Amino acid sequence: MIFRQLGYLLKTAGSNLWSFRGRNLISVLIIGFSFLVIGIFLALSNNLTYLGEQLSNNLAISFFLDKNLRAEELETIKSQILASELVEQVTYVSADDALKRFRTNFPELQDILDNLKSNPFPPSFEVKLKDKILSLSAIVYFMENIKRLKGVIDFQFNQDWVEKMESLSRIVRAVGFFLGGILILASFFIISNVVRLNVFARKNEIEILRLVGATNTFIRIPFLIEGFVLGLLGSLISFLILFILIKIFPIYVGSSLGAARELFSLRPLNLNQLLWLVVGGIVTGTLGSVTSVSRFLRV
Amino acid sequence: MIELYHVWKQYQKPHWALSDVSLEIRSGDFCFITGPSGSGKTTLLKIIFRELFPTEGQILIDGVNILKIPDHKIYKLRRTMGIVFQDFRLLFHQNVFQNVAIPLQILGLAYKEIRRRVFNALRQVNLHHKMWELPQRLSYGEQQRVAIARAIVNNPKILLADEPTGNLDPELAFEIMAIFKEINKQGATVIIGSHDRELIRHFGDKIFFLQKGKIIGQEEK
Repeated sequence: MIFRQLGYLLKTAGSNLWSFRGRNLISVLIIGFSFLVIGIFLALSNNLTYLGEQLSNNLAISFFLDKNLRAEELETIKSQILASELVEQVTYVSADDALKRFRTNFPELQDILDNLKSNPFPPSFEVKLKDKILSLSAIVYFMENIKRLKGVIDFQFNQDWVEKMESLSRIVRAVGFFLGGILILASFFIISNVVRLNVFARKNEIEILRLVGATNTFIRIPFLIEGFVLGLLGSLISFLILFILIKIFPIYVGSSLGAARELFSLRPLNLNQLLWLVVGGIVTGTLGSVTSVSRFLRV
Repeated sequence: MIELYHVWKQYQKPHWALSDVSLEIRSGDFCFITGPSGSGKTTLLKIIFRELFPTEGQILIDGVNILKIPDHKIYKLRRTMGIVFQDFRLLFHQNVFQNVAIPLQILGLAYKEIRRRVFNALRQVNLHHKMWELPQRLSYGEQQRVAIARAIVNNPKILLADEPTGNLDPELAFEIMAIFKEINKQGATVIIGSHDRELIRHFGDKIFFLQKGKIIGQEEK
């Protein structure tokens, strides 16, 4: 009996979706556009995160060393550096290598070097940091520790730049959460109102069912299924449009942005984000539908 | 048995739609509630199937105070009733078959059984040839007959009908009354709100006269 009822309810939901296709299409489009806005925002923020990661990949620290260090002392320092979790790679740059590099990079300053009697460059360890590390305090702690080692004279690291990066990333994230939160709230209200209007238009149907002896669950289920389908379709539409935008954005808009192009590109959403959007669509559609129905179940 | 004790209903002060209505309808009765427009017939019927709550008073059906039934259990009461609404209350996006089948679908009956019962009910109201039509393609009188078929399809214990023949020609009205009488013979209690004197005179076994919300008389054949 339950299966028969379920079959009937599924059929009813399907036929309602089709019978009210105009109204349902509007609901789907509104859900779709709301989630599209969130999707675009996520794609932008993905790009910023990606840029941040790219930049942090290039983070390097140079530890300048005493010229007279013995091989085993160099080894000790190197192993101390490598012991840190932050370090990806350590390269030894001898005084001669540093001089050669300077000559290559700054050929116009050759004369100055020629006038010097000795090589002014100290040997150094160039340390490449691991990806996705943007915790400045951890880096500073690491540098201070290495500097205390015997034979390490100084270090070079563009702290200002890292601080700026870090604060920019914090701002982006904060703005992201703020805007994202507002957007999600706004879309939820829009969607639930659209669904509510949809249900309101069928208030008579709900009343009739109540008066001929339907249980509340029996009345709710088709609406629940319809809300589910509308939410799902809405989020799928938002993916489709987002996918098209990501494809055409660089072609039509990217070139006009000039230098800011890198900053304002859209980067595809990852599987997790897509999943959240689908779940969001379904939950909004279903909840909006079911809560709206409850108001008319008091007959 | 349906018992009403001192039922009052007020929509808006200071007018009373029903004032101090007490009546008793025995199981198997075939009765009419009659009176001029605005006398409270519809309100009284709506209170019996609990679409409306009275402002005061008590209503017992088979000894159960229906005002005490919680909302989520009221479907049990309604499944024992067949109701013909004055405004028909059909689903216009569903065809005649689907509309009449609703009370049976709710019960989860097999499709074959539903089809059999719906066909029989529609045949009784002489509308079986329009089973697959949408209600908006039917005339007013035909829509009324769809509503009647939906009310009788489930062999209800109590049949309530609010002006069920208001839009039918006299011949068809008599046929519909004959159907109600048949259902009554099978054991159902039938309560009809109507102001059609001819019908009442011909079919009424028990008649309650309402005026300005008050029972001003009662007649029993």
